[in-house]
Amino acid sequence: MTMNTEQQMKPPVEIRYREELEALKASDTGRRPLNWQLSPQAVRTFILGSDRPIPGKKGDVEITRKYYGNDMLVERCIVTLAGNRGLMLVGEPGTAKTMLSELLSAAISGVSTNTIQGTAGTTEDMIKYSWNYALLLDRGPSREALVPSPLYVGMEKGIITRFEEITRTPAEIQDSMISVMSDKVLNIPELGDEGLLFARPGFNVIGTANTRDKGVNEMSSALKRRFNFETVMPVRDVALEKQIIVQEVSKLAQENQIEMEVDEDVAELLASTYHELREGVSSYGHRIDRPAAVMSTAEAVSVFYQTMITGYYYDDGRISVDCMVQNLLGAVAKENRDDLEKVRGYFNTVIKDKSSREGGLWTRYYEARKWLR
Amino acid sequence: MDQILRGQEVAEIAYMPVRHHSPACAYHVREMIREWEPDCILIEGPENANRLIPVMTHPDTRAPFAIYYSYRDRKGYVSEEKADYRCYYPFLDYSPELAALREAAARGIPARFIDLPYGEILTAVREGRGLRRGGEKNNYNDDYLLARSAYIQRLCEKTGARNFDELWEKYFEQNGLYEDRDTFIAHMLAYCGQARESTLVEELEQEGCLKREQCMAWHIREAAKTCRRILAVTGGFHTPGIRKLLEEGDVKLTLTGIPQKDQGVFLLPYSMEACASLNGYASGMPYPEFYQQIWDGIEAGREEPYREAVLNGLVAVGRMVRKEDGLLSSYDEICGFSMARGLAGLRNKREPGAYELYDSVLSSFVKGACDLSTDQPLRLLRDYLTGRRTGTLCAQAEVPPIIQDFEKQCKDFKLKTGSTLEQEVTLDIFASEKHRSVSMFLNQMVFLDTGFCRKKRGPDLQKRKDRNLIRETWRYKWNAQVLAALTDVSVYGATVREACAALVLRSLKEKTGGKEAAVLLTRVFEMGLEDQLELVYEQVYRALLEDGDFYSVAEALSYLVLLGEMGELYQSSMDVGGLILICIRKLTALLPGMAQVQEEQTQACMEACKTLYQLTGQEAYGQEREALCQAFLQIVNRQDGNPGLDGCVRGILYGAGIHSLDQIRGACAGYLTGTHEQLMKSASFFRGLFFTARDLVFIGDGLVGTMDQLIRRLDSQSFMALLPEFRMAFSYFTPREIDQIAGQAAALYGRKKKDLFALKEVTPAVYDYGRRLDQLAAGMLAEREDGK
Repeated sequence: MTMNTEQQMKPPVEIRYREELEALKASDTGRRPLNWQLSPQAVRTFILGSDRPIPGKKGDVEITRKYYGNDMLVERCIVTLAGNRGLMLVGEPGTAKTMLSELLSAAISGVSTNTIQGTAGTTEDMIKYSWNYALLLDRGPSREALVPSPLYVGMEKGIITRFEEITRTPAEIQDSMISVMSDKVLNIPELGDEGLLFARPGFNVIGTANTRDKGVNEMSSALKRRFNFETVMPVRDVALEKQIIVQEVSKLAQENQIEMEVDEDVAELLASTYHELREGVSSYGHRIDRPAAVMSTAEAVSVFYQTMITGYYYDDGRISVDCMVQNLLGAVAKENRDDLEKVRGYFNTVIKDKSSREGGLWTRYYEARKWLR
Repeated sequence: MDQILRGQEVAEIAYMPVRHHSPACAYHVREMIREWEPDCILIEGPENANRLIPVMTHPDTRAPFAIYYSYRDRKGYVSEEKADYRCYYPFLDYSPELAALREAAARGIPARFIDLPYGEILTAVREGRGLRRGGEKNNYNDDYLLARSAYIQRLCEKTGARNFDELWEKYFEQNGLYEDRDTFIAHMLAYCGQARESTLVEELEQEGCLKREQCMAWHIREAAKTCRRILAVTGGFHTPGIRKLLEEGDVKLTLTGIPQKDQGVFLLPYSMEACASLNGYASGMPYPEFYQQIWDGIEAGREEPYREAVLNGLVAVGRMVRKEDGLLSSYDEICGFSMARGLAGLRNKREPGAYELYDSVLSSFVKGACDLSTDQPLRLLRDYLTGRRTGTLCAQAEVPPIIQDFEKQCKDFKLKTGSTLEQEVTLDIFASEKHRSVSMFLNQMVFLDTGFCRKKRGPDLQKRKDRNLIRETWRYKWNAQVLAALTDVSVYGATVREACAALVLRSLKEKTGGKEAAVLLTRVFEMGLEDQLELVYEQVYRALLEDGDFYSVAEALSYLVLLGEMGELYQSSMDVGGLILICIRKLTALLPGMAQVQEEQTQACMEACKTLYQLTGQEAYGQEREALCQAFLQIVNRQDGNPGLDGCVRGILYGAGIHSLDQIRGACAGYLTGTHEQLMKSASFFRGLFFTARDLVFIGDGLVGTMDQLIRRLDSQSFMALLPEFRMAFSYFTPREIDQIAGQAAALYGRKKKDLFALKEVTPAVYDYGRRLDQLAAGMLAEREDGK
């Protein structure tokens, strides 16, 4: 079942950036690990962007920066994937681990959709393979009757298998990866002598794990040894956070055909709120109680986007600060009533102060605190 | 060669711009000397260190070491504060200056420093800038000049380097090593020129750069009069400035004329830790041990020194991690190495360097999310990259005599020096004379604030505690800072002991208080400065005479009494008797004035009275008893005095047989039958009385009855107000005595003592009621919790 790109709510990375990937591939002169679509340098350029445009089929293509934060981390990820070990991205929710993993797979293998979604109900056959029972009964165990799962596909094609939220799956299911990761061979006993699948070069695994899930299903040390770990930290710079919000929201708006400019001032408001609540200190040095909820940039993007579509459909295309505060409330006060108190306290001290010092938008923001109920 | 300037003179001058710690610069400097064969080498560095050069280049001298400069601003040339200044100029094997000096010495080429003397630099620097920045340690090195401009920040962004040091490693250390000299120098000059361009002239002025460059240019010009080929090794930041001065012929040397005798300059062994920029040494390069290995590799002619150092690093850290918890395999190390090489390739580096080593440990050795519980490999790596090496000086080194003395004593006492690991020693100070000597020495080192040792356990005379202990446990740790601290105090004496004595006298002159003087005396006592005692004694005597503060003198007295008691144990010949006598007289004279002492000082005052009375009971001070009792009587006769002190003094007078029991009862009755305000003072009075004469309670039944009356007169509010005071009053009694008093009190109401302990029975109904109440409350709490 195929649909064209316009019909997709969120097209995969390799489709969204097809032009960039093609241009990079055409101009790539670096050495490529076997079965990689791009050289490590070109993968880096794809993710971190390039200063000057690269010639493509229809004129020059600008390679945008897609991942903000730690460039060194991206470099380490690329080198890890070229090596013998898997890559495990760990970090707070909303730190763009999944996005980074998609970008890496799309650039390296040309596919970012060979993915296992880890849940408490994930079973071994969702990882390795299962059977088409009609064919199985008809012809007995054979390659035709076998339904490959993402790990099988990755090994067979020599592409990257992504394993999302690996620590949500039970430890014994996680451990079924161990031998595959080290020996690069999958044993299918049902197929008898032909039951050995050797991984083609280019196969590797990118896992993501949430540090908030720590202790839910701890990874075994045997599995840990098969991975290089990279800890993804939240963005530490307000200006950068604002930039990310603006960029991501514009992208979402464009994909959903919402013709509305992103208000950068409002984005700044939101970026600084998220940043300050996360760090526990304001730009003027007020000390702030940190909410227990996740204050990630991804959350900020979704709050902003929510506000924007509300404005687009119900408010004549104007973005309203009141609506943003309502959405903020919804995003923060999820698990814990105390968080609401903390946000209210933040408005009554920091935003109040900023409103009296800077006025304008900040005052409107402060006045919108009435929605924090 | 564009860097050679041919002036009117026939001399050729080659400029070698360097960074102060850099294997590549050191390599090029050395090669330049070998090939170009200059007949004179001029090096950036304060010129008053010239006499140290033979020691620095001696084969037995091992880096790291540092030149220590000190300056005492007696005449206020630097600022009105007339402060003391000091700074360090560290040298490692891969410091280009040291490489130049060593090569010059090996070839018999004259070499010398050409910067302003340290004191002169200080006069040229604005407060808070350059060498006059605040903080504990100042370094002569000014590589920070190369690393701070906005230009460099932009450059890092552009090249994908995380900071200046990574940028430097890639372009100057790694690439520089393989460039021919002219290219390397051209790159250095281009880079340093840019860094200088983006620094304001005012800044150069304020940091003293301009004046220093004048001095260096002047020296180069002077040398040009007699030499033909001159090599000038200066910090890259200054090279363009010096060149410009010489080209324009605009060289004038103006000196403030700082006297030589106020400036000290010594060579000190130094440690890698002190050199590492991560330890707050802002001008250094990070990871000194790593670059030391690079230098060793260059010296040994290795093909790929960086690759080898990275591999060594991974193996070493792997071994350290295994030693700590054993959870790292060789395969992790293999992955680490391939990561380092892969990163070097991705980052277009010639070889993996320190930053690839860091990244590979982070990604291959750290298992799980990187946080405090898992980042041990990174911490071990940092230690490893910093290194533990310490330098040594050759036998000919002019070591400040105080350090010689320190080292000799350490050797005599078998205290380990040369290792920076903490050691422990336990001393039987009262049984062994040798142990007492070690203790004295350690106490002296503590007094000099050297950070060498600290007493973990043992009698503490300053805090007047643990006097029952007969052993002292000390922990000590040798490091270069100890030597630096000793050098700091070297002006006060040639031995540790002398310096202590001089400092004791100095602080006695500054301190006027009797208490501080007595505390100092306890330290003198611990340090065993017997021969200094006479002088100290006189000073303490004077301090006590001049001190008019009752409490200070009282505190001093208690310290002196302590010293008197402990003197024999410490085998001290000090006779504190005279000082104690002074204190008694002084306190007796001050006592009548204390009658109206404030509430919060009552306790201290009461204790002083008690001590005084007890002391005058001793034969040596018996003659003071009469005067003291007179003073006590004066207090008692004041009707408006502090009730606590009143009670305390009356108790003493009763004990001395001056007051009769009836007089005491009369005084009690006075408080009890007085106005409400006086009544409220009675608890305090009893507290004072019991402090000195608690036996009064047990004579007859008088006092308990009197107190009973008092309590009956009180309404419950007043009783609550007085309760703390009553509690204090009864705290002087032993449990047995309390029992006895309780018995007496019970008898007043026709009860027996045992009745007091009888408990009232609880009926089942009451118990049941309580239980249900409890359940109800728990239920409500749980409900609230759920509702939340």
